[in-house]
Amino acid sequence: MHAMRAFAPCRHRGYHALACAVNRAFALRPMRNKVVGPPRLTACFVGSLVLSDVARSFGDVAAVRDVSFEVPSGTTFGLLGPNGAGKTTTMRMILGILVPDRGRVTWNGAPVDLATRRRFGYLPEERGLYGKLKVREQIAYFGRLHGVPAPLDRKRADAWIERLDLGEYAHRPCGELSKGNQQKVQIACAALHEPELLILDEPFSGLDPVNAETLLGALRDLKAAGTTLILSSHQMWQIEDLCERFCIIADGTVRVTGTLGELRAAWPTRVIEVEPPSSALRSVLEGEPEARALPAVDRPVLAYEVPAQYDVAGLLRRLVGAGDVTRFERVEPHLTDIYMRAIGAEA
Amino acid sequence: MNTIGVVFSAEFERRIRSRAFIIGTVIGALAIAALAFLPALLGNFASSTKTIVLVGDPALTSAAAKLLKRDFTIAATAPRLTQTPTIAYLDAHGKASAVAVLERRGDSLRVVTYTRDPGGLRSAFATDLAPLQIGLATGTPPSQIAANTKIAVEEHDLSGRFADASQAVAAKGIALAFIVLLYLAILLNAQSIIMAVAEEKTSRIAELLVATLDPAQLLFAKILAATATSFVQLAVWIGTSLVVGKTVAGFFADGTAAAGSAPELGITAPEILWFIVFFVIGFVQCAVLFAAAGSLVNRSEDVGSVSGPLYIPIIGAYIIAQFALQYPNAPNVVIFSFVPIVAPFVMFTRVVVGSVPAWQLVLSISINVLAAVALAWFGGRVYRVGMLMYGRLPSPRQIVAAMRQR
Repeated sequence: MHAMRAFAPCRHRGYHALACAVNRAFALRPMRNKVVGPPRLTACFVGSLVLSDVARSFGDVAAVRDVSFEVPSGTTFGLLGPNGAGKTTTMRMILGILVPDRGRVTWNGAPVDLATRRRFGYLPEERGLYGKLKVREQIAYFGRLHGVPAPLDRKRADAWIERLDLGEYAHRPCGELSKGNQQKVQIACAALHEPELLILDEPFSGLDPVNAETLLGALRDLKAAGTTLILSSHQMWQIEDLCERFCIIADGTVRVTGTLGELRAAWPTRVIEVEPPSSALRSVLEGEPEARALPAVDRPVLAYEVPAQYDVAGLLRRLVGAGDVTRFERVEPHLTDIYMRAIGAEA
Repeated sequence: MNTIGVVFSAEFERRIRSRAFIIGTVIGALAIAALAFLPALLGNFASSTKTIVLVGDPALTSAAAKLLKRDFTIAATAPRLTQTPTIAYLDAHGKASAVAVLERRGDSLRVVTYTRDPGGLRSAFATDLAPLQIGLATGTPPSQIAANTKIAVEEHDLSGRFADASQAVAAKGIALAFIVLLYLAILLNAQSIIMAVAEEKTSRIAELLVATLDPAQLLFAKILAATATSFVQLAVWIGTSLVVGKTVAGFFADGTAAAGSAPELGITAPEILWFIVFFVIGFVQCAVLFAAAGSLVNRSEDVGSVSGPLYIPIIGAYIIAQFALQYPNAPNVVIFSFVPIVAPFVMFTRVVVGSVPAWQLVLSISINVLAAVALAWFGGRVYRVGMLMYGRLPSPRQIVAAMRQR
């Protein structure tokens, strides 16, 4: 399915040739970043955003170092990392705001130029709105900047205003709105032109749970409509819920990239949780040669870490043989665990 | 509509509808109206305050009155003062502004004045009563001396530009009015440009714009919108000048507000054309610099410190243009009429009040158009990097380094 989608737009022979030439060029160069799971460079890059060995320095400070990843068309992609990791610089390079010192950024096999960028949408980390411009006018203006003609700009603005519950503010200056509502206006500005690729830098910051849920719903709609989304966020549960692929960067380099399944598959251990915490069950677990007891949690549960390939079924049989087992669970690592380990901040 | 058109129309609309523009334009128009009325009103005030009382020997005051009538109205004459005059005394004598006591001391004349506003009469008395002084010393009748000191002076314009001196004087007035308009339009709009750019940067809108538009296109559209806005402002001001000018001229000519009887103001189409040419050149040069400066601002409080140095050449140009009004062909003035930023003021003044060789005009316009292009290139580079430089106000070295880094 994925390969079909990747090849589908190759209707033009020249375009296809260019895309595949780019593909061949990159295929000869192994990715230098540590990639968990198979490198997802597809046979042909058509229908995706590809960053290849992209680097950018500011003076003596290397903000981004040889970053490579691919975002297939229609995917929702989580770009994660601690503050100062290079996420925003990477996003700015994708958008052409900053020019990479080296490396390439391509969209559908071609370098990202101004015409391509006008088909992208961007929500910067720090919000940018004209304070005196009214909400409806502001949204329509950013639509026109991206080529949406009048009167379609206003029609779409009205639709977004309704979708984001901004109706009562439509004719008020943006400067008078709360931070959360300004954030929603900003989302509408970024998405009005139905971008092929929408990049959202910390879209949930400053939003209360209700507004966060509204935004999440809007992003799901965009995702369903086939928009490729790149998000950075520190709200892991939202990212984990929304994104299909992830890239965790720290110190300007890619630490891990892949789907959550791929990232979990590469995780070296699993946690086994057993209830009740009886001495019989504990003695079985203590007798397991590769099991390591985890610090006590505030629940009546036995928690042990075992290797990812451990014979869990055999362990369960041994536990059942020793006593009553009311709960037995092999816990998959959460995105937060993977993130913490990837950036070297695990406990 | 292309992107430049979208930015231009949005910027233009935002500027035209902004409170600052409306207030600035209205205040400017009111100021022009006030300035138009002011000289005439001041003239009336001045004439109303030049009423005096002459005290002294009747023969002396009689001779002096004939000489002083050119500048003063004589409210009364008296042979002597019984006491030192007071304000009440002046009020009682037709609200006179001064009492002048004339006294002969040997062959010379001594004048003692008691006045409401000291300092305003000295020069007029010294000039008007000089024939009387000479008459006392030589015995020649003062009226004969006064008649013989009138020298007929004729001025002929060798360039053939002006038919007579009054036309040349009128041209200076027109040039001065246009220079003031040029100065005001550049100052007000430059300030609004720097504020608008700084707002876009500090509110991070710049990041969105630069992601969608080429910064050079963005800057071009902004300058275009600012130029168009200032043209609207100038049109309002010039319209006000014409209407008010005619009304004032008619009013003071006839003592009524009959504009129809007003004399022609004498502004010619070429003068307006040259004004537009030099206004566009000067405005673009300044606007690019102010936009670039605005892109370096990280906090609105920094606008003043960044823009301050940029006002110096504009103020300098305005001052040099005042010299150019009097001496349009002085060597230094000629040199300054080629210097970017200064030239739009100085060359325009020279064109209106003097006769400028065609080659100088072509050279000045060429240099300044090239300078505008160079400044636009430089300003565009600074703007591009400045809009994405956050933190402290960058030093010149940091700006150059960032420009090299792309």
